[in-house]
Amino acid sequence: MKLALLSESPADEAALRVLVAAVLGGQPQFVAPGYRARGWPNVAQLMPAVLRHLHFNTDADALVVVADADDTVVHDARHEAPGYFHPQCRLCQLRAVHRQTVKKLPPAQGRGRVVRAIGIAVPAIEAWYLCGRDPGVTEAAWIEGRVEGRAPYTRAELKLRVYGTDRPSLPHEIACALREVGRQRSDVRRLENDFPGFALLAADLRAWTPSANKR
Amino acid sequence: MIASIAFRKFKALRNTRVALAPFNLVIGPNGSGKTSLIESVMRLKTLAKLPLATGAASRQRADGPAIEFNFAPPHEGITAQLGCVSDLVCDTLRIIPEEAAGWAALRDELADLRSYTLQPEALAGAAQRADGARLSSSGHNLAAVLAHLRSAAPAAFAGMRAELFRIVPEFAGLELVEEGGQVSFALQLTEGGQVPADELSQGTLCLVAVLALAFDPDPPRVLCIEEIDRGFHPRTLREVRDALYRLSHPRSAGLDRRPTQIITTTHSPYFIDLFRDHPDEIIISKKQGRAAQFSRLSDRADLGELLGEGSLGDMWFSGILGGVPEER
Ligand SMILES: [Zn+2]
Repeated sequence: MKLALLSESPADEAALRVLVAAVLGGQPQFVAPGYRARGWPNVAQLMPAVLRHLHFNTDADALVVVADADDTVVHDARHEAPGYFHPQCRLCQLRAVHRQTVKKLPPAQGRGRVVRAIGIAVPAIEAWYLCGRDPGVTEAAWIEGRVEGRAPYTRAELKLRVYGTDRPSLPHEIACALREVGRQRSDVRRLENDFPGFALLAADLRAWTPSANKR
Repeated sequence: MIASIAFRKFKALRNTRVALAPFNLVIGPNGSGKTSLIESVMRLKTLAKLPLATGAASRQRADGPAIEFNFAPPHEGITAQLGCVSDLVCDTLRIIPEEAAGWAALRDELADLRSYTLQPEALAGAAQRADGARLSSSGHNLAAVLAHLRSAAPAAFAGMRAELFRIVPEFAGLELVEEGGQVSFALQLTEGGQVPADELSQGTLCLVAVLALAFDPDPPRVLCIEEIDRGFHPRTLREVRDALYRLSHPRSAGLDRRPTQIITTTHSPYFIDLFRDHPDEIIISKKQGRAAQFSRLSDRADLGELLGEGSLGDMWFSGILGGVPEER
């Protein structure tokens, strides 16, 4: 299976490769270099072009996209109802972009459509890195804090906890990201439990079977 | 080092004040005072070497251009005033209070301000081997600086090389060729063969220069660089920012040394994007007619909402942040 990644930084990409491989239980082949977006809403803006490019110009089977939730609405079970779409939920938005883009594309490269795996890190990917290390950092804690009108932590605090500085160099950021996902790679169940935005990514990945994707 | 600069009638800076942080990225249209800001710092350096103006002769020309500097601790008690005859000639420096005890120490630090407008053609040239103690304003002696770094600070030189090859993995070696008192440099390709400096891309040359500055074991107190993004691929700009942070925030890089204050300018939305987590480091220079004003991005009350809606670079390009050219 050949995968493409659309992420916001080389550090995110390095960590996601490890997490994707951990979920799939093998070493998938990645399109290199990875595709890069400049944060939100650039991820959603670029996704149709990336999907069309993958579809017509490459033999990639799937696109993995992960974005930070920041302060937006967090995806929940109600959003999974058939036909439901929450306009402020980034997961709902990215799924809609994928659905609307691929349905218009005729078969190419011997396969039907480029499938997707979409995850949203709440509020930022550094929260995933802290899973299992900082029990106070979970998606539920973030949502609860927002309901009560006080964020339990800020993005800046999460970054400081992961990198030990608010101005990490890129190699340091990559090393910290790989250290944290390396700790979790043998068992991602805790990450799936504490971060439903990761569990949805994992569910998408597990739903792929190369045969289901061939026509 | 420099806490703030106030301008009166100096070029486009008719009446504005800017507070400076350890790292300052100045954005705005051409002619909006970005270069004037850096020029004022270099005039302070030049005049600090000369005898001070004192007594009645030192009073500011009542209506002429003037620039006033305030400093961070331990020099917070001193104000330096540049008096100017015109936009082009600032010829007096007055210190308040006149007999400030800390002036001698401050003057020594002001001698250590540097300004760069890196010129790729200049960076590629051969240089006098003896002329390598500090990089010149255009970077024309880069090869000599590299040779000096190699002999005077081998560990820093090794660190700089390692960083260069990590960022540009197509290269694996840096060759210095000395001949008749001149030195030039070339980069060795990972796949074999070498590329002489004058055949390197502009971005690679500028990267070598920025890394030579970032790995200087004795960096200046203040470093000004015009158009820092010049020649770089947008994906490389993160590395350029990190190299500058190594100077302005050495502890973040694990270095135990005194910080270098950075003042730099850019026209690249991609470079601006990199300051999403530190909007306090962006200074916007807005031009209205012939007058320009400085403001800090972090002073905007709606900054949080703006950051949730798009990248800083796109926001700047759109005009929402100001600092865009006027149109008829
Ligand atoms: Zn949703």
